[in-house]
Order: sequence, then structure tokens, then C-alpha cells
Amino acid sequence: MSPNARIVLLALAGLALLPGAAAVIAGLPAFGSTIAQYGERINAVAPEARHVANMVSAINFDLRGLDTLGEEFMLLAAITGTVVLLRGRRGEGNTERAMRRPGRAVIPRSEAVVLACRIAGPLTALFGLYVVLHATVTPGGGFQGGVILASGTLLIYLGEGYAGWRDAIRSHWLDALEGGGALLFALCGLAPMLTGAAFMQNILPLGTFRDLFSGGLMLVENLGVALAVTGGFTQLFLEFMEETREAREPEEPGEESA
Amino acid sequence: MSVLPYAVAAWLFGIGLYGIATSRNFIHLVGCLGVCQSATYVLLLGLGYRWGSIAPIFYDHPPGTPAVDPVMQALVLTDIVVGATLTALLLVLTIQAYKRGGSLDPEKLRPMRAGGQSGRDRGSNRVGDGERKAS
Amino acid sequence: MTAILPLLFLFAAISGTAVVLVRDPARQVFAIAVNGLVLAILFDALQAPDVALSELAVGTAAVPLLFLVALMAVKTQPPEEDS
Repeated sequence: MSPNARIVLLALAGLALLPGAAAVIAGLPAFGSTIAQYGERINAVAPEARHVANMVSAINFDLRGLDTLGEEFMLLAAITGTVVLLRGRRGEGNTERAMRRPGRAVIPRSEAVVLACRIAGPLTALFGLYVVLHATVTPGGGFQGGVILASGTLLIYLGEGYAGWRDAIRSHWLDALEGGGALLFALCGLAPMLTGAAFMQNILPLGTFRDLFSGGLMLVENLGVALAVTGGFTQLFLEFMEETREAREPEEPGEESA
Repeated sequence: MSVLPYAVAAWLFGIGLYGIATSRNFIHLVGCLGVCQSATYVLLLGLGYRWGSIAPIFYDHPPGTPAVDPVMQALVLTDIVVGATLTALLLVLTIQAYKRGGSLDPEKLRPMRAGGQSGRDRGSNRVGDGERKAS
Repeated sequence: MTAILPLLFLFAAISGTAVVLVRDPARQVFAIAVNGLVLAILFDALQAPDVALSELAVGTAAVPLLFLVALMAVKTQPPEEDS
């Protein structure tokens, strides 16, 4: 399809959908007037029922924990797809050592950058842990803290260079983190069934309101999500970085990799 | 003001679609898809807001103070993280398409055909599935 | 708060438009990072601190980095050629 035909088709589709969109926007409640009934009930009920202060974590890990299980495995599937695609072409055996591209100049890092990364790296990791652990009392949780922890490992790359980063971050640990986190979340669903409760029912003691230890099973699920997100995002960075390092080998004719 | 978030969401979605349709570079296209995603975040959070309410965290305020809708925030939260992972998967597919097809331009890449011809404009002796093409 | 919110919505619309209109991928990375920052501030103004944390970490750090490394991979790997 030529580009002009595509733009014309897009304009026609836009014109056809515009009255519908305008009608929907006019039919929505005015911005800021009211919130849905479901949210109202959760705000009213959940602090008493689950002893947590963070409603968003309560929804993610307890009230709608099943949806988070699905999201968790969506994350795992996307990262597995990425790894399969990249390693399928590159080969499985090269992930242990850091490869260097022949013919590329190695720019020495300035000492200010190294110092700043060495200071900021542990602080970022500490902050990420803080965000993960305070899931039920302050804004935070496994998803946010996991991404902060993963971006903290990038500071190691900035400060130490590619070889130093590969020495610190092993691919096997990341696989274990990622799979282990997802497994932990699934076990949080199955373990209550061993005691006769429903899937993912909150059977642990609920703790005290506004305390770090509150929410029961939510904390374990939170930990599972944090492990999976950290391992997954670092794995993504690692696979992408490896992709820029591969030495090109000539392929035999007739052979296509998967 | 009462329809501004919804109009902004519709605008972002529309401009993202325009970017996808007229893009000349696959990596630029993935960025435009991210704009479409952010349109949904703005819409959901705009639906969940109420004037004069606090965040749904009852650490500093007693439970019972009017708060905004936590369900929308829970939806958007997991959506952001999973959306980033899917962006990574799309970038990987882009890299693979570049390596097979030789170009990042959507106009230059032809669809792959069944029966072995790789997605390149000029004819190629290299075929998949082990099938040999008589030269 | 009533004056900031419409301004932030307009900023979000402008930065989203900028992401689309910047055609060079190497420059679009900066537009994506700025878009992530503006969205994080907007989400915080909408009383959603969890979402703002997530968007900040993802949209300003993780996703632009993935784009940059994808660009590096494409530039340093010339496609397979028939000899």
C-alpha cells in the first residue's frame, strides 16, 4: 500500500470514528466529579479488612491478585520471548564471558563518572529495597522497586565498564531470580489451598495497621513480584548489551537459524 | 476543563496512530506505539480522579478521608511495567527484521512468503526450510 | 492544584506530539525520556504516587536505555549481505 493511500485511509477512519469518540467523551462523567463505586467500597473496607494503608497494593496483591498473576506471567513470557529470539540467533554458549568487538576503540572512563556511579549505585539499590519493602504502608511495591533495582545495576555498567558489569551480573542468577519470583507468586496462590482455603486467600496473620509487617500473604507476593521484575529487566538489559557485542561469524549458505 | 483529560487522551492516541502509519523507521514506530499506550494511562487516571481527594494511601490520613480511585491506579501500574517489557520484545523483533531484511524502513521490507523466499526485495539464493532454489 | 492540572495535561499532549514528530530515532530517545518525566509529574498531580514512581523509573530510565541499545545493535551490525 502506498504511503498516500495509507494516510487517506487513516484520515477516513478518523473521520468515521470522530463522532463516536465525541459522543463517548460527552457521555463520560465530568473530570473530577465522582469516582466509581468499586473504588469507593475498597477505600472504605480494605484498611479494616486487610490492615494495610496502601490501597493500590491491596488491590494488586490481594483483592485482584489473580490479575497480577496474569500480568506476572505476561512479563515472564515477553522476557522469555526476547531471550529466545536473541539467543537463538547468537548461540547459547557465549554468555559466560564478556565479548569485545574487534576494531572498536575502548574509551577510558573519566574518574568523576566512576566515582559518581560507585556512590550512586549502592544508594539506588538501597532505595529500591526500601520501596519494595514498604509496599503496604507507603507508595511502593514490587513493580516499582524492581525497576529501580534493575536500573541500579545499570550504574555498575556505567561505572565499571562492560567487562566489570558482566563479572558482577551472571546470566544464571538472573534466570533464577526471574523464574523464582514467578514461581513464588504461583505458590502463594497454591499454598493456601493446602490448608483448605481458596486460591490465594490471605491466610497469614494480618499484622498491625501502618506497620511494616501488615497484610499477610501480600508481603510474600510482593517479594515474588520484586524478584521477577528485577531479574527480568536486568536480563533484558544484558541480552540487549550482548547483542551489540557479538562478533560476526559468516553463516553457511542454506542454514537459517531459528 | 471537564473534558480536557479525555480530549488529551484521544489526541495522544490519534497522533500515535498517525506516527505509526507514516513512520519511515521501525524504531521510531515503536516509540509512537508508546505514545498510544500513554494515552490509555491518561484516560484511566483521568477517570479515577476527584477534586479535593488524597492519594489512596492512608498512612498520614485516617481511613475514611475521601481518596481517588485505587482501581485505576492498580490497572495503570502493572500496565506500565508490562508495556515496557513488550516494547523490548518489539525492539528485538525490529533488530531481527533488520538483520534479515537489511533495512529499517517499513516501505522497503516486503512480507515474508511461505515456501522459503526471505523478505528482501532482490532475489536471494539463500532460502529457508532447506529448500534449494534452482538458479 | 486547579491551575496546575490543565497545564500538565497540555504539557503531556505536547510532549507526546514531540515524540511522534521527531523522526530521527537517536533524537527521539530524548523526546521519550522527556515524555516519561512529564507523565510522571502529571500522574503525581493526579494523586497517584505509585504510578508516578513506576512511570519515572520505566519511562525515563529503562525504556530510553532499551532504545539506545537497540540503536547501537543496529548500527554496529550491518545486515547480512550476499557476497
